[in-house]
Amino acid sequence: MSRFFTTGSDSESESSLSGEELVTKPVGGNYGKQPLLLSEDEEDTKRVVRSAKDKRFEELTNLIRTIRNAMKIRDVTKCLEEFELLGKAYGKAKSIVDKEGVPRFYIRILADLEDYLNELWEDKEGKKKMNKNNAKALSTLRQKIRKYNRDFESHITNYKQNPEQSADEDAEKNEEDSEGSSDEDEDEDGVSAAAFLKKKSEVPSGDSRKFSKKMEDEDEDSEDSEDDEEWDTGSTSSDSDSEEEEGKQTVLASKFLKKAPTTEEDKKAAEKKREDKAKKKHDRKIKRLDEEEEDNEGGEWERVRGGAPLVKKPKMFAKGTEITHAVVIKKLNEILQARGKKGTDRAIQIELLQLLVQIASENTLGEGVIVKIKFNIVASLYDYNPNLATYMKPEMWQMCLDSINELMDILVAHPNIYVGENILEESENLHNFDQPLRVRGCILTLVERMDEEFTKIMQNTDPHSQEYVEHLKDEAQVCAIIERVQRYLEEKGTTDEICRIYLRRILHTYYKFDYKAHQRQLTPPEGASKSEQDQAENEGEDSAVLMERLCKYIYAKDRTDRIRTCAILCHIYHHALHSRWYQARDLMLMSHLQDNIQHADPPVQILYNRTMVQLGICAFRQGLTKDAHNALLDIQSSGRAKELLGQGLLLRSLQERNQEQEKVERRRQVPFHLHINLELLECVYLVSAMLLEIPYMAAHESDARRRMISKQFHHQLRVGERQPLLGPPESMREHVVAASKAMKMGDWKTCHSFIINEKMNGKVWDLFPEADKVRTMLVRKIQEESLRTYLFTYSSVYDSISMETLSDMFELDLPTVHSIISKMIINEELMASLDQPTQTVVMHRTEPTAQQNLALQLAEKLGSLVENNERVFDHKQGTYGGYFRDQKDGYRKNEGYMRRGGYRQQQSQTAY
Amino acid sequence: MASRKEGAGSTAASSSSTAGAVGKGKGKGGSGDSAVKQVQIDGLVVLKIIKHYQEEGQGTEVVQGVLLGLVVEDRLEITNCFPFPQHTEDDADFDEVQYQMEMMRSLRHVNIDHLHVGWYQSTYYGSFVTRALLDSQFSYQHAIEESVVLIYDPIKTAQGSLSLKAYRLTPKLMEVCKEKDFSPEALKKANITFEHMFEEVPIVIKNSHLINVLMWELEQKSAVADKQELLSLASSNHLGKNLQLLMDRVDEMSQDIVKYNTYMRNTSKQQQQKHQYQQRRQQENMQRQSRGEPPLPEEDLSKLFKPPQAPARMDSLLIAGQINTYCQNIKEFTAQNLGKLFMAQALQEYNS
Repeated sequence: MSRFFTTGSDSESESSLSGEELVTKPVGGNYGKQPLLLSEDEEDTKRVVRSAKDKRFEELTNLIRTIRNAMKIRDVTKCLEEFELLGKAYGKAKSIVDKEGVPRFYIRILADLEDYLNELWEDKEGKKKMNKNNAKALSTLRQKIRKYNRDFESHITNYKQNPEQSADEDAEKNEEDSEGSSDEDEDEDGVSAAAFLKKKSEVPSGDSRKFSKKMEDEDEDSEDSEDDEEWDTGSTSSDSDSEEEEGKQTVLASKFLKKAPTTEEDKKAAEKKREDKAKKKHDRKIKRLDEEEEDNEGGEWERVRGGAPLVKKPKMFAKGTEITHAVVIKKLNEILQARGKKGTDRAIQIELLQLLVQIASENTLGEGVIVKIKFNIVASLYDYNPNLATYMKPEMWQMCLDSINELMDILVAHPNIYVGENILEESENLHNFDQPLRVRGCILTLVERMDEEFTKIMQNTDPHSQEYVEHLKDEAQVCAIIERVQRYLEEKGTTDEICRIYLRRILHTYYKFDYKAHQRQLTPPEGASKSEQDQAENEGEDSAVLMERLCKYIYAKDRTDRIRTCAILCHIYHHALHSRWYQARDLMLMSHLQDNIQHADPPVQILYNRTMVQLGICAFRQGLTKDAHNALLDIQSSGRAKELLGQGLLLRSLQERNQEQEKVERRRQVPFHLHINLELLECVYLVSAMLLEIPYMAAHESDARRRMISKQFHHQLRVGERQPLLGPPESMREHVVAASKAMKMGDWKTCHSFIINEKMNGKVWDLFPEADKVRTMLVRKIQEESLRTYLFTYSSVYDSISMETLSDMFELDLPTVHSIISKMIINEELMASLDQPTQTVVMHRTEPTAQQNLALQLAEKLGSLVENNERVFDHKQGTYGGYFRDQKDGYRKNEGYMRRGGYRQQQSQTAY
Repeated sequence: MASRKEGAGSTAASSSSTAGAVGKGKGKGGSGDSAVKQVQIDGLVVLKIIKHYQEEGQGTEVVQGVLLGLVVEDRLEITNCFPFPQHTEDDADFDEVQYQMEMMRSLRHVNIDHLHVGWYQSTYYGSFVTRALLDSQFSYQHAIEESVVLIYDPIKTAQGSLSLKAYRLTPKLMEVCKEKDFSPEALKKANITFEHMFEEVPIVIKNSHLINVLMWELEQKSAVADKQELLSLASSNHLGKNLQLLMDRVDEMSQDIVKYNTYMRNTSKQQQQKHQYQQRRQQENMQRQSRGEPPLPEEDLSKLFKPPQAPARMDSLLIAGQINTYCQNIKEFTAQNLGKLFMAQALQEYNS
């Protein structure tokens, strides 16, 4: 934003100046065109009662005043805001305007604003120094006002031809401004009045030159009105407006004002300036000469300077300066001091740092310095985004990866360099090669931050795009870096650091299914016959072994609870993923994480949920439906699986949380490639619930007190029942519901065909690593549970049933049927006995009918009712004597117990 | 199914009309206090109520409507009725009173009795003894002394015998409801039990002679099969349902009693505390007296010991009433079935 460097046109005059260069910017004509704020409308505002017109107009004038102020301080963003408000206010005032005609002051501000913007637009130097927001606002505003002013064209031209002026006001303003400006000048640069005057006199010549140019380029300008290139019209900096401005303004005033210098100063530049003024001046002279040459060559010179701050290269060190450590470090500190300050262009900072590295390496200043600068480069790369939520741009990310890689190269190549965050700036040793080099900085932190950035990038990329795949390819790089750092730290780091880097490694390993190890497991002995290439491929460490090693280290050495918790969870997850159910389960039970996980922070809880889910799915693959159901129950019953697993936000709670919370939650999301398929999860849960619930329901059909095993499953069933028309199942849920219905009738074949078919294969089962194994397990489970259900449901219609028939019906072998039935008999689920010689099940008619059941329950309830009633009676009896009540209670209890016993006997009698 | 039901209803009506009166009332003494000793219902009303349920009621949902008629001597003649419109969520601002007035006015225009004499309601397995029924019947009876509520049991009707009963609140219950005091003491004082809450009024279904003649003729002409399912047992489903409902009520009753029990315990505990406090105060005062000091001022004991809120006993009364109805239902049902079983046995023996 500083106008420290002057525009090309001014440079000749400037170069002759011996003192500080002062920016003589055509800030501009706007002061001269100050509106007549003290028009009649303005005066009216003092009245209490205002007409609608006055009110509207006051609103407008107020806005206009703000715009003018913003213009004065060159705050284009503010201008843009206010201009939009102004447009709205004008819209409101439309009815009045229609009556009264467009107010003059409104036209005036439009014209002035346009002039002002064009002026700014021309001012390439100034624009370049403008911060991003302002520059953006400038181009938007410029386009907007052009469009807007089209409607008022006639008015504006009218106005421009015949501008109203309030001379005294203008003069007043001018005075003020000039005073202010000269003050500032003196404050900042100590320019003498003489210099000031001198400049004043110089300016007109520059100006006039400009204007003449403008005239020539007028046509050109009007043609490319739409362009938003940075250099726009380049040196052909003209607009018809400025011309008119010349006409309508008193020349003197405009000239006077044009000298108003900017109030803002580039701090960086100022600092530098103070430090090596002389050097720089010399420098700049040369530069300026170059520029002038360029200028003479043609209008296109601006393009060269475009975005590349390389121009600043010579500024780094004066020619011939001896590059020493001290100088470089000083420079580095200079650059770093600007860090975090407002108005510092972070991109330029990175460039500068990189230049510095180059210089350092060119001058062979030793690795210490380079390492130090590189640390800072990476740090400023991280700093580049001011906002925590936004993620790195791909180039930046690549740069970051490269830098870290280079840094690692150096660190690995030079084992005598010690890095550490605990090394103080003062105790750094960057150039004394006799002693080990000591550099402040922590490679581990950088890598952790890099990993976080990677996660952020993944979170913010659309997971279904090619882009995501591209980004995902970087994961290998990230892993490689982590591995390098791990190796490095294993030699040099403390246990804490090793734990941290191990955790990073674990976090990048635990969710990946190790296909190679899996393959090897499947074909263990034939490994010898495999080709060389396969051998080489297989050489990598089994991820299981790796996890084991890393986790064990952490278990042993870690002192922060969090890392250990994460490591355990990842370890369990990894076990579960590779179907090592018992190890996973034992680890989970031994860790006692279930008891205190609710005290952990949300990311760890998400990890815990993921682990539990994976554990459940693992149990399911092993055919342990009950364990699978229990593991998944918590996640599924809440109905918020998506949220609990950090795989997306629920729309429902959108209104409950504010933006801030939402941001936090968004940051917690797990990147897509770590997601657990929710449909798979739900299907696993529902199928295990079905396998448990359907036989249970059949067994306890008439029991009024039976409890539901899975609420969600019942919910799905009910939804299915409510459907007025039942078509063939479409979704996974419908399939499960249809299968449950079939199973209720003991029809295992239909059930099987609903659970395992093309659709379900595609949706769910093929997602398992060993899909076929899972499917065979499922079929078997369905057969068994259907048999049980069948026996529960239809035992009452059989006197006896041959086991062979059953085995035929359910395509199970005889021993299995035998064992299932025996189990049911032992558990007293089925009142029957096995007749060994004939291989039949003989039913005992013991189950009471529905009515009998009800009657039994009623009797029980009545029993308790009577008991309660008697208690009331006791109270009536013993209202006065409270102290022996307890005794009485005991007595009554006994009695009640005995009576109940009596009931029992009766019940059993009626039952038969 | 619908036609069968309709038929059942009409035959029942016709038979009752020919038989003169089907008074199911137990003739409990209460009815003597009221001027109305009998309810005479037009066949039209019965059919309209049945139709109304047929069209709108299903499952546990009940239908309600207004009875119109007039009092003649000691008879309440119900000559017409109209249904309340079914409530839906979207017409929350529907004005029922307005609707009733409109309806009655319109009926008056066509020269129909327009006097409000009560209301009717369908029931699900006889579960009608509820707070809502009590409240609305109270407000009816409060406004119109002779009004009754007709309870129509569609399920029983579907089984072949028209079930229509007229009830009103006993004067005792009216008193209690007027007081709006349902504390245990008040109810005790009123000496009211579940048996004395509602009284049933005998019903007569009356048709005009012309209709009787028509029915007679139809009966002659109709070729209704002679096959009578005399011995078919009514579905056991009915019994099961009744049992289940009965069980629910018993559960509620149990809970209620537990609540009451806690209340009793709390009261007695407090009584004790109060007693202790008084004694201590007395002792202290005695000591003070002996020392010659003035006795401590008397404090308001009721402030110190707030009696616990007594649970309203009305609910338990209602539940008891409901249990009573269920029991009667079951008794009736089983009695019939048992009779049939014995008959079947006898037939079996006779045949063999």
